[in-house]
Amino acid sequence: MSPPTLAASATKTKSAPARPGAYAGRLLRVDLTRKKCWAEPWSPDEMRDLLGGVGLGALILYRETATRGGKGNVAWDHPDNRLVLATGPLAGLPVWGTGALTVVTIGAQTNGPTSTQANGFFGTNLKYSGYDAIIVQGRSKDWAYLYIDDDVVELRDAKFLLDKDTWETQEALGAAHGLSGHQLSVYAIGPAGENLVRFAAIHGDYGHVASKNGCGAVMGKKKLKAVAIVKGTQALTAADYRGVIQAADDIAHDLRTDPSAKSLYEYGTLPGVVNLSKLGMLPIKNYTTNVPYDDTSTWEAPKLREGFDHRGHQCNACGMHHCHMQVIRGGEHKGKVVDEPEYEGWSGCGWQIGARDKEGISWLNTECDRACVDVNEFGWVCGWVMECQEKGYITKQQLGFELRWGDIKGAHRLLRMISHREGLGDLLAEGVKIAAERLGGRAKECAIYTLLGASPRGHDHRGRWDEMLDTCTAGTGTLESGVPVHVAELGLPTRITPFDGEAVSRQVAGILGRRHFEDSLGICIFTARTRMENLCRALSAATGWYYTLDEAMRFGRRTAAILRSVRLRCGIGPKLERPSARYGSTPHDGPAKGQAVSEQWEKMVDTWYVQVGYDRKTGKPLPKTLKDLRLDWLARDLWGAKK
Amino acid sequence: MRILKIMPEKCTGCLRCEIACSYMQTGTFQPAKSVIRVSPFEGHTSYAPYTCPQCAEGWCMTACPVGAITINAAGAKDVLDDTCVGCKLCTIACPYGTMFYDPDTRKAFKCNLCGGDPACAQACPTAAITYDDVPTVDWLGDFAAERTTRLLAGVR
Ligand code: SF4
Ligand code: SF4
Ligand code: SF4
Repeated sequence: MSPPTLAASATKTKSAPARPGAYAGRLLRVDLTRKKCWAEPWSPDEMRDLLGGVGLGALILYRETATRGGKGNVAWDHPDNRLVLATGPLAGLPVWGTGALTVVTIGAQTNGPTSTQANGFFGTNLKYSGYDAIIVQGRSKDWAYLYIDDDVVELRDAKFLLDKDTWETQEALGAAHGLSGHQLSVYAIGPAGENLVRFAAIHGDYGHVASKNGCGAVMGKKKLKAVAIVKGTQALTAADYRGVIQAADDIAHDLRTDPSAKSLYEYGTLPGVVNLSKLGMLPIKNYTTNVPYDDTSTWEAPKLREGFDHRGHQCNACGMHHCHMQVIRGGEHKGKVVDEPEYEGWSGCGWQIGARDKEGISWLNTECDRACVDVNEFGWVCGWVMECQEKGYITKQQLGFELRWGDIKGAHRLLRMISHREGLGDLLAEGVKIAAERLGGRAKECAIYTLLGASPRGHDHRGRWDEMLDTCTAGTGTLESGVPVHVAELGLPTRITPFDGEAVSRQVAGILGRRHFEDSLGICIFTARTRMENLCRALSAATGWYYTLDEAMRFGRRTAAILRSVRLRCGIGPKLERPSARYGSTPHDGPAKGQAVSEQWEKMVDTWYVQVGYDRKTGKPLPKTLKDLRLDWLARDLWGAKK
Repeated sequence: MRILKIMPEKCTGCLRCEIACSYMQTGTFQPAKSVIRVSPFEGHTSYAPYTCPQCAEGWCMTACPVGAITINAAGAKDVLDDTCVGCKLCTIACPYGTMFYDPDTRKAFKCNLCGGDPACAQACPTAAITYDDVPTVDWLGDFAAERTTRLLAGVR
C-alpha cells in the first residue's frame, strides 16, 4: 500500500522533531495469534496528519486490511481484521469529556469499516499508561483479556469471565486486581459479543458503549473478552499548559451558556424525547405511527431524572450533567443500580417498542448494555418482531411466545434469546436487515434498516432527512457527518427547511469532516458541541501546532475519503446507499405527515455526491477532491497513475 | 484561615481536580502525583475528593527531623524542597494519609493550597471543592460510613 507503515516512517525520520505535547507517543500493538504485545513509535508528522481516534484508525484499516493487492478487503471475522481502540491528543487533559475511545474496525453488520465512540476513562487511563492507541490483530486460541498497567502489558486467561455480562466482567476484574472505580477502566463484551451477535457492542466503565456496526462481535471473534487499563502513572505534557486550561474553560463556558448545548449541559440527552416528539422524529412502534401514545408531559427531562435516585457519573474532567447512575425506586426491579438511559435508551427500549413503564425501560436499557447489545438495533429488531406478531407475519410458534407492544418482560426474553442465539434469536442476532431479508414477504416490508446494514440512530428519520441521508451514504455505515453544530462557522446557513431535500443534502455534505475531527481528539461528541475554533485552540495549546479550522475540516474530509475507499474495497458500493421500504416510507400521521422522502431521494443523493466531490457511479472520491485533500497517494490507488 | 471545604455528595468522580492539582504540583499533567485524590465509594457509584485538611496539630511538621515543613503565606503546611531529606517520617506521622513521597524527586510533597489560589477548587465543575473561611470539620466521615454500608439514597 502506498503510505509507509507508521513504525517504519517513525524510525526513518532522521533528527526527528520533538514529540508534540499531549501525546503519549506510542501505539500498543497486540497480536492475539502470537500472544505478543509491543509498543510502536509514531512520528510527529503522523500525529499531525492522523491526530488519533478515527483519523489514525482509518489509515490503519486502509493499510492493513487490504487483500488482492488493494482490490479486496478482509472480512470482519477474519483474523487479519484490525480492532483499533484509539484515543486522541486531548484525552486525559482538563478539557471536559476527554476520556474518549474511538473503535475503528471492519464491522460485523456491514462487513465494512466502522467508527464508533464511547467515553468514560479509557482514553485517560491509556494515555497516562503511555499509549495513544491499541491495535489488536489476529485471533486468540483461548479467551483472553488484555491487562495494561503502565509498562506491564499482558494477555491473560479470561476463562473466569466467560458468560459474564459487561458490568459483572468489570466487577470481577476490579476484584481480581483489587481496584475499584476509575482506578481500573474496563471495556468488555458480554454474552452477545461472545456469541457473535452482529450488533454486539463494546461496553465500558458502567454505561459507556461503542455501539455501532457490531464492533463487539469483532472482539468476540478475536476471543478478546476485555481490555482492563489501570490508571497510569505517566505524565502528559502540553506545549502551553495555561492555554489548554484557558481553552478548556472557554469550551465549558460555551457548553453552559450556548442555547444549543445548554440543555445537554443540564440534562444530557433526556430532553430529546419530548423535543423530538414535537417534530415527528420520535420513533413510535416501529414507525407504524408518529403520534405519541402516552402523555409526553410525564416525559419531560426533569421528570425523567427526578423519577429515580441518581448520582453524577461523569467522564474524564467533564462538568456536564449528563451521565448518571440511578436506582430504580419501585416495581419489579426496585433497588437495582442502572445507568440513566440516554435518549436512545428511552426510544429503543421505550417508544419504539410501545413501552410506557419508565422503570422497566430504564432496567431493560441497562440489560442491553450488560449483554452488550446495541440499544438502537435492539429497538429496531424488537419493534419489528412486535409488529410482525401483531400482523401474523411471525407466529407464536416461530418465536416461542407472544410478544406484544410494550411488553418489557417479553422484550427482555427476546434480548436473552438474541444474546445467546437461542431459537428464533439465532436469526434475529443477525440484525434486522438480514433477518428481514431471510424471512422476506410482508415481514420484510416492516423492517427499519439501511441497505448498508448498520443501524440507524433511535429516531424516526422520516422527519429527520439529514440523518437518513447521512446514515445511508456513510463510509462507516452509520452516522458520519453527524448533527449540525455551529454551522455558521463553516459558512453554512443556520436554518434550513427540513423537508427541502436539496438544502438538506447541502448541509449534510457541508458539515462532512467535522465529526471525524472530533472523533480523533479523544473528546466526547457532547463536549465537542462548541465552536471548532475552540477545539482547534485547545489542540494547538496542547500540541504546540498552529491548528486551524481549515486544517481540521481538511483532516476530517481526508479521513472520510479513506474510510469510503475501504468501504468500496469491501464491495459496498453506491447501489446500497438506500433506506429500506419502511425506513424511507412516508408518515401517515403526526408532525411529519405526508412528507415523502422517497420522492426527493435520488435528487438528494445526487446533490450530496456533487457537494462532497465523489463519483456518483463508482462511489469513489474524485481525483480532484483527493488532490485538494492532499491525498495524491489515494488518488493513485483508486484511479491509477496520472494519465 | 481559608481552607478547602469538601462537599462529597456533589462530586461526580470526573477527576478534573486531580489533573489540575498535578499541574500545579509538578508542572505537567500527571494525576498520579496529585495531592488531592478522588476515592471511589460503593464500588463505582460515588466518589469523593480528599486532601490535607491543614490540621491544627500539624503532625507532619512536628515529626520532620530537619524542619523542612513550614507554614506558607496561605497558612498551609508546605514542604521546603531544599531542606527535605526524603526520610518519609512525615508520611508516617500524618494521621490522614495526605502526606506523600515522590520516588522521582525523593522528597515529600503535600497540598500547599497552591499558595492561596487552589487549582482543584477552580477546576471542579460541580463546586464539590470550595476555598472558604470555615472551620475544618470531618467532611468525609459520615459520607464514607453511609456510602460503604448501602447503595444510593432510598435503597437498603
Ligand atoms: S457529556 Fe456525558 S458522555 Fe460526554 S464526557 Fe460528559 S459525562 Fe461523558
Ligand atoms: S499533611 Fe497531615 S499532618 Fe500535615 S498538616 Fe496535612 S493533615 Fe496535618
Ligand atoms: S473535580 Fe470536583 S467533581 Fe470532579 S472529581 Fe474532583 S471533586 Fe469530584
